[in-house]
Amino acid sequence: MPHRHVDEQLSGFLDGELTQQQRQRVRLHCEECAECRHKLDDLRVLRERVGRACLSDMGEDEWRETMNDITVRTSRSIGWLLFVAGLLAASGVGLYHFVADAGTPAWVKIILVCVYGGLAILLFSVLRQRLIERKTDRYKDVEI
Amino acid sequence: MKNRGMRQQLLQLGNGAHALATQMLGSADEAADAVQDAFVRALKAPGSYDAARGPLRVWFLCLVRNRCIDLLRRRHPGVVDVDRLRDPGMGPEQWLERQQRDAGLQRALAGLSVAQRQIITLRDYLDLSYAEIAGILDIAPGTVMSRLHRARLALKEAFTRNGETDTNAASAR
Repeated sequence: MPHRHVDEQLSGFLDGELTQQQRQRVRLHCEECAECRHKLDDLRVLRERVGRACLSDMGEDEWRETMNDITVRTSRSIGWLLFVAGLLAASGVGLYHFVADAGTPAWVKIILVCVYGGLAILLFSVLRQRLIERKTDRYKDVEI
Repeated sequence: MKNRGMRQQLLQLGNGAHALATQMLGSADEAADAVQDAFVRALKAPGSYDAARGPLRVWFLCLVRNRCIDLLRRRHPGVVDVDRLRDPGMGPEQWLERQQRDAGLQRALAGLSVAQRQIITLRDYLDLSYAEIAGILDIAPGTVMSRLHRARLALKEAFTRNGETDTNAASAR
């Protein structure tokens, strides 16, 4: 049988992925052909070498930590989301009642809206800055 | 499958998935991120795994591979890192010997295309069957053998190019 018919099947032979008939053909060919026999040996050595290699340096414990980290981060995000949503809703209702209250003089409303509005803008500005820093800081995970 | 059961199984698959991702991305750190992303996807929607369609390992390696392809599409071609081999379970001498041997393998693998490194990792490192590989790569089972064979010949050629003969490879056993 010519080499080219056997060549591709050498890998299949090595991996036990050929039919019985194909295996028989390859075996008979290799008995007669030193070149293919040598190639088969080379491929076997290569396969064993890759199989014994260490291609990843992370253990199960590290993956467990990674998974726990995912859980913690997810639950923390949900917690923050609920807290902020509740706070916004409460602030909105409070603001509405305050503005709608006919008993409070207009100048008191204006002053209080300025104070709390200013605080809210400052808070938003700081949060935004922190968020940008967190996203762009390449060394945030470095422990000193 | 219950989430807890899946978590336990995924933990055992992490290392192999990381090896595949490292070979695809050329960086152990990026590979760890890709595996972590795949964990998140898998644990967010455990119901998307259908046991009737194949083992969890194949499904999870598909997720990892897809994530790697996303990352490869995004970034510029990078240099393959060959100095990230470590096995904490071994003694210093064994570790050094293995690192030297594996560094040669990593150098040779670095000379291959992503597709070739991928198929060699799936078959020779993770020991998947041709049918499983076909499922992960989304190709016909018959194509696996020819692609794998070409990849192995390319790896052999890369060893020769790097000045490592077959005898060196054999002595590394």
